[in-house]
Amino acid sequence: MSGLGFIFSPFIIAILTALLFRKKSAVSKFVALALFTTMLLFSLHLFTELPSSGYLDLGTFLAVPQFDFFLSLKVDMLSTIMLTLTSVLLLLVALSSWSIKNQALYYSLLIFFSGAIFGVFMSTNLLWFFIFWELTLIPMYFLVGIWGAERRIYAAVKFFLYTHVASMFVLLAFFLIHKEAGTFDMTLVKEGMLLSPVLIWWLLFVGFAVKMPLFPFHTWLPDAHVQAPAPISVLLAGVLLKMGAYAMIRMVLLLLPETSQKYAWVLLALGLITLFYAGFMAIYETHLKKMVAYSSISHMGLVAIAMSTLSYAGLSATLYEMIGHAFVIAPLFLIAGFFHHKTGSWEMKDMGGIMQKAPYISAIFVLAGLGALGLPGTMGFVGELSILLSSIKSFGLWMAIVALGSMLGAGYIIWTLRRVIYGEMSEVVKKTDFSMNVFEFLALAVFALFIILFGLFPNLLFEYINPAFAQFSSLGGAL
Amino acid sequence: MISAFTILFAMSLVSLFFHRSYLLKPLSLVALLGAGYATFSGTVVPLIGFATNEQIQLFELVLELVLFATILHESEDITITQTLFLGSASVLLLQSDTLISFILSFEALSIISVVLVSYIKTKDQAEGAVKMFIAGSMATGIVLLGVAFYLMGGGMLLAPLSTQGSLFMGIGVALMLAGLFYKLTIVPFHGWAIDTYALVRHSHAAILSGVAKTVAALAIFKIFAPFLAEHITLSMPLLATLAIITMSLGNFLALFTKNIARILSYSSIAHAGYMLIAFVAVKSSYADEGILYMAIAYIFMQSGAFLALDSMKKEYEIETLDELKGFASQNPILSFFFTLQLFSLAGIPLLAGFLAKAVVFYAGVDAGLWWLVLIALLNSALSVGYYAWIIKSIYFDEGTFKAKLVELHLPLASQAILAVGTLFFGVYAGIIFR
Repeated sequence: MSGLGFIFSPFIIAILTALLFRKKSAVSKFVALALFTTMLLFSLHLFTELPSSGYLDLGTFLAVPQFDFFLSLKVDMLSTIMLTLTSVLLLLVALSSWSIKNQALYYSLLIFFSGAIFGVFMSTNLLWFFIFWELTLIPMYFLVGIWGAERRIYAAVKFFLYTHVASMFVLLAFFLIHKEAGTFDMTLVKEGMLLSPVLIWWLLFVGFAVKMPLFPFHTWLPDAHVQAPAPISVLLAGVLLKMGAYAMIRMVLLLLPETSQKYAWVLLALGLITLFYAGFMAIYETHLKKMVAYSSISHMGLVAIAMSTLSYAGLSATLYEMIGHAFVIAPLFLIAGFFHHKTGSWEMKDMGGIMQKAPYISAIFVLAGLGALGLPGTMGFVGELSILLSSIKSFGLWMAIVALGSMLGAGYIIWTLRRVIYGEMSEVVKKTDFSMNVFEFLALAVFALFIILFGLFPNLLFEYINPAFAQFSSLGGAL
Repeated sequence: MISAFTILFAMSLVSLFFHRSYLLKPLSLVALLGAGYATFSGTVVPLIGFATNEQIQLFELVLELVLFATILHESEDITITQTLFLGSASVLLLQSDTLISFILSFEALSIISVVLVSYIKTKDQAEGAVKMFIAGSMATGIVLLGVAFYLMGGGMLLAPLSTQGSLFMGIGVALMLAGLFYKLTIVPFHGWAIDTYALVRHSHAAILSGVAKTVAALAIFKIFAPFLAEHITLSMPLLATLAIITMSLGNFLALFTKNIARILSYSSIAHAGYMLIAFVAVKSSYADEGILYMAIAYIFMQSGAFLALDSMKKEYEIETLDELKGFASQNPILSFFFTLQLFSLAGIPLLAGFLAKAVVFYAGVDAGLWWLVLIALLNSALSVGYYAWIIKSIYFDEGTFKAKLVELHLPLASQAILAVGTLFFGVYAGIIFR
């Protein structure tokens, strides 16, 4: 099956799943698992076909030459890594939603989402990129709105509106690019062709900063994260935010390198503010999932800081941290959701001493928490260290303050572990039975495995990440 | 070969004899298919002052498809006849090439629109119909006044609108546009539309706001575009102001409305504002395709939304957002179609509404009006607020419906046709750009 098939067949499968398996909803999750496995195999297969640098052409479809509107599918190392990450996450999310209600509709929305997100990472025509970019909103809107927690409707509508408004800036920027450079193909656009790169830079920057999200455009995310069902929070953090970061790298940093160099300080400043603001918010929170959500935002601040170096080392660190963040934050969300499901409460004071009741799950929570604060031997450590080093290299020794961000992380994570996992067993916990579905536990175990594996052997990832930016190492920056 | 107009007009006369007969609907549908074939083979109204081109031909085909779906949905004999009449007047208007044929066919369309809504059953419908009648007569008066000025300035009736001319001709064209903008519901000529669209039967509103308005928009663009392009320094700021006011007002008022039909009416006004961007950006080579795409997308999605609403009101007595709560569990298929058209209206991709907006807005950027496009884009994003809210009521809220089995075969078939149209033009743009 070609790249096109992986974008459009999910849409068709999604509709069929919703229609056919309404009565036998258990079948739908096997359909989803089969599809996501195929997608994973396809993404892995792409690695073997990629040329040493540049794009692998997967074909051009639905040509409208008069409007330069081609569905042209091309992948390079960066997008293939994103595709692989996405399919791994989708697979694990499908596993960890094993016992969700109304499964046929849930899984068909998940399948629909997978098609849209593959389109985002594969299409190089700006207009089609935008189409898939917007299309990811629809399944997310329903997934948050139908399966979410108490204030799900508010969160879903806010999420939809907020990110949709941001996308409008992106669309305007794409129009301006087409008007000035004469093409919608992002592989052909060069900064020199543009007459108003500064306007375009700001439009794109704001549009993508909302998705990442960076302070002060982050306010939709705590709501969406908290109200979404736990597996969907994983998708939000692991895929949707990464989509924003991917777009920021591809459309802002690589498409407009000179303007980005000029305004790198904006990215750096917002990254730093996001890191510390979200870190302090996480310390302050007593709501378990909100704490995880702010920790997630805080890590995106790190990602932005690494991006702002605009260097080979910094971009590699960005990509590593993006993957690391996805694997680290996912089990935290899943377990936070699980604790809420079992105890009926979000407040940390109602939990405590869970370790004694559910040792395995708690162990994974502790491991992921330690990953989030950057303990050596986990993915978090490698990511934060490489970001620290690359930013010191680019901006000087004062960037050591980034390490303070990690200390904040240590603060909120260890305090949370103290209140939730260890400590005295609360009345609620005593009464609760913490048995977990074996498939959901399997997903958690895989996440834990990844955290340690890539933490101990980061080169397994850097082997692929470094070539993704090798061709851009000459574009300024430290290296 | 017999022209599409002749087929439709003959059928609408013949259909009068088939009222209360089960043959009426099949015959009308066959006539529409025939008209479609005649359009496809490129026939023109056999009168002086009419011409066609590929764009008009494409739109006529779409129009006939939408009328097909409308008649499939319809259960009132009288409305079927009126729909056929309206179809023939639309073909006339679309193919009109000179000023006199344009004015006459425009009046024909207006009068049939009034006749359509004047089949009154309730007090509300009477209010809507009367408002439309008064506004329509006003508009006609203004248009004719404009024509008089235009002729006084030396214009010709039996020729296309001239682009050069005296001051009187300019005033004449401005007055004509003011009158025509009543039909397009451009603010400040929009007052009647909200009440009329919301109060008359929803299937009539589908025809008025979905079909008649788009036909008028396309025809007006075709006749007036050369003149506007010639006087761009004056027309640009004026029309841009009207566009901004129209879309912003429509969207803002829709946000605070609870009645679904009223929301769709406001959204219809907002869309008139988007269409106006093509008039502003008339210098751009994308303006032609933009207004055509907008018209095609809009005729599918607006008719689809209002026809779905018509079924909802008839079978489930749904009028407000509160009554819509939990409708997805009551009738998932109709909910799906309705949601699809709403997403299209909101400009969500892979649906016609998105690409139509993209082309129109791109025409604006191409003409150098990126600030206008930014306002339009933000408006479009704002509009998601109320569409998403309707969808929220359908899917996220718990409903209080009593389980009720309703058979809706023909309306659902008609919905399916319109949904396929929305999807097709949302993916395949190649057919517009030829």
